[in-house]
Amino acid sequence: MEGKDWLDKLRNALSLNPRQKGADQWPDWYRKYAELPHQLAPGKQAFRELDVVVLDAETTGLNPRKDQLLSLGALRLRGHTIRLKECFEAYLPTPEELRDSTAVSVHGIVPNSLRYRYTDLTSLMEEFLAYLGEAVIVGHHIGFDVEMINRALAGLGAGPLKNRVLDTALLAQKIHPPGYWTPQGEYALDKLARRYKISLSDRHTALGDSYITAILLLKLLSRLSEKRGRDLLVEDVFG
Amino acid sequence: MANQVAQRVYDFLKDIPPFHFVDNEEALLRVARRVEVQYQPIGTTVFAPGEPPRDRFFVIREGSVELFSIGEDGEERLVERLGEGEVFGIRPLLAEDNYLFLAKAAEESLLYAVNTEGFKELLPNYPQLTNYLATSMAGSSRYALEYQAARNREPEGNWGGTDYTGPDLLELQRVHRARPPITCTADARIVDAAKRMTEHNVGSIVVVDKKDHPIGIITDRDLRRKIATGLKSLDALITEIMNEPVICIRPDVTVADVQIMMVRYGLHHLVQTEDGTNKSPITGVISEHDLLVLQGNNPAVLVREISRAKTTAYLRSLRDRSERLLKVYLEREVSISFITSVMSSINDEITRKCIKFGLARMQADGMGNPPALFDWMTLGSQGREEQLLRTDQDNALIFEDVGKKRHAEVKAWFLKLAGYVTEYLHEVGFDYCPGDMMASNPLWCLSVGGWKEQFSFWMNENTRENMLHTSIFFDYRGVWGDGSLPGKLTRHIFTELEGKSSRFLASLGLAALDNPSPLTFFRNFVVERSGEHKDQFDLKARAMRPLTDAARVLILEARKGQVNNTFRRYETLAELEPQNAELYREAADAYEVLIRLRALIGLERNDSGRFIKPEELTRTQRLLLRNSFRPVREIQSLLEVRFQLNFLR
Repeated sequence: MEGKDWLDKLRNALSLNPRQKGADQWPDWYRKYAELPHQLAPGKQAFRELDVVVLDAETTGLNPRKDQLLSLGALRLRGHTIRLKECFEAYLPTPEELRDSTAVSVHGIVPNSLRYRYTDLTSLMEEFLAYLGEAVIVGHHIGFDVEMINRALAGLGAGPLKNRVLDTALLAQKIHPPGYWTPQGEYALDKLARRYKISLSDRHTALGDSYITAILLLKLLSRLSEKRGRDLLVEDVFG
Repeated sequence: MANQVAQRVYDFLKDIPPFHFVDNEEALLRVARRVEVQYQPIGTTVFAPGEPPRDRFFVIREGSVELFSIGEDGEERLVERLGEGEVFGIRPLLAEDNYLFLAKAAEESLLYAVNTEGFKELLPNYPQLTNYLATSMAGSSRYALEYQAARNREPEGNWGGTDYTGPDLLELQRVHRARPPITCTADARIVDAAKRMTEHNVGSIVVVDKKDHPIGIITDRDLRRKIATGLKSLDALITEIMNEPVICIRPDVTVADVQIMMVRYGLHHLVQTEDGTNKSPITGVISEHDLLVLQGNNPAVLVREISRAKTTAYLRSLRDRSERLLKVYLEREVSISFITSVMSSINDEITRKCIKFGLARMQADGMGNPPALFDWMTLGSQGREEQLLRTDQDNALIFEDVGKKRHAEVKAWFLKLAGYVTEYLHEVGFDYCPGDMMASNPLWCLSVGGWKEQFSFWMNENTRENMLHTSIFFDYRGVWGDGSLPGKLTRHIFTELEGKSSRFLASLGLAALDNPSPLTFFRNFVVERSGEHKDQFDLKARAMRPLTDAARVLILEARKGQVNNTFRRYETLAELEPQNAELYREAADAYEVLIRLRALIGLERNDSGRFIKPEELTRTQRLLLRNSFRPVREIQSLLEVRFQLNFLR
């Protein structure tokens, strides 16, 4: 209940945002997405029945106000299964002024390399929202990725993401609360992956990180389920 | 477009069987892109018996999965434990059958579910892939069990085929003797066909035209699927449910060809025609079951040929042939207990034949018949029925007590006989024992009384050298002769064990710990530091000896004299000590793995397979080897605790 109120408030706040164009000026592809019911799953529903999309955005930096999206990778979970056929992966051309930026070396994305199929921001968002639908969004420190996507959407005259969001970093803390022995830094994706024995070979591509996050999610959920002594309900995970 | 995750899946698959047969990167990438990554928390079920397979099979990316068969009493029996890089759940797909086993995650696991569409398309282009699947399905113990379970559920007729004769090896065997076909014409009703199948107790019937050309086939499966489910009426014409066109083979194809065809087309029955097409008259039908019968039949032929042999040269060629049979078994991953029992009976039969040659030679020399009852005993690995390759001879002779006056004369007679026998064995290809542990050595050709004294000495004087002797001589087994004398020796040993047993067993246990257990780290073996085999891994001393030695001392402690084989010793121990049952079973499994590995390597290099260069192993072999080290170490610590060896050292 609390979550619903909060979401409604947020929706109102966002619609008052001066940068936000009115709903009547939304591009068609966003309208199609926004018109989906976007209902919250009832708390007593089994979590594994939910449609889940694990996503990761690679960006030129960590400042949402200045930095831009470089690529977006996402995987869809069905219960305990990841179908590689149904993954989403798209790259944007590196912005001119950032060709020499450090992010390029971190992500190993060579600017405008022939290895990737590039797309423009509008088609990326259009395809991504069609892919995403009403799924629960899962990611590691996902607040940042959502913020980056929302800003990009706003720039295209569209509204923000309407999906429910789950952060694996917070989920990890639920299982292993932070304390003297586990400082906050222990919840970084690398550290958690090591703790839960997940191979890190694909780090720093959007899809590779989504994959690691997806495995992390599954391992965390099974530990939480063990802790609760039952199959997880929606309220066990979000509550 | 390089999808990074699919690329990682591809990188993993390309090195493991059966995917390593696909050398086309693009084709395998297509398979990888359709993979579903499936997470299995510990204890969760991957599939259960009776479930239909959904268009996928599984490769273990990490963790491990256990397959259980479910008995009629509902009891779960472990069939196999599978680890990283292993494939399972493929048989039901190819055979279009339901799962027979229960598959559960033994650890938190990640599986790659490989979609069969896409994979099946590879089969026609990669004969090796098809062959691998065909042979692993026909040969491995797991699949044999599955077949058995499947047969038990749906009993089928047992047709001909069993009278197959001819000394050819399996892969060369021609399927001349398919069962005569049961046929009907296109105007028959389904009920008529079903009646005919029941009358003749067969699982299939072929629909033929006027010229006897096959136009369709119906099997038990079609009746179950299309009739029992009410899809078609029993009064409908047979042509409504028959499968067409019929896949035909020529009469002169080999067993391997048939297996490949069956897997490629997903069929259980093939029709033989005169020219191999469906435009010529039918000559026979061959089923999967017939193939299994052919396969089981073969070693018996070799044993019979051995008993008919007239020269050691022919024996040698038969032994060469049985080594080729061994190779086929190993390649097809036939269960080790089956292989060892087949190879032991072949080795025993050769030994018996050589003794008969020896006795005939004694006659020819004018030495007459044996002057007393005797038994020929094999020792060491042959005594344990674990010998696969031709290694050195280890044998001994025991004769009944004859009194002081005749003793020297009788012993001389048997020494002469033993001289001939060991010579003949040498001619067949069993080298002389470098340590001279052979019946032709006066030390090891003794009367019952002499052997009793010898064993008492070994058991009372626990010197290092004596302990080495026990490791060979305590695994004796009579192969020819009166048959009663080895039993007398066993009874003597157990009498000796009463009283002063603990000291002897402790020394034996200590000897079993002489070889430090191998390291457990992957790709990190204890290799020999110096000498001829520098940087090689001594498979026999470091992994097999600790297991055989431990099994021997434990079985002696349990006073079980008749159990002579390392796996059976561990099985017996598992029954006697339920609290350690799991460890004993793991030790038995590990030993099987080691025997198999040693034989494979030995055959490849044409030597005893004892020393291994870690880099010459395949990925799977290294993994298996590494996994077998854990039970070695655990068994050693069990011995340490049990005999408190730390105090003695």
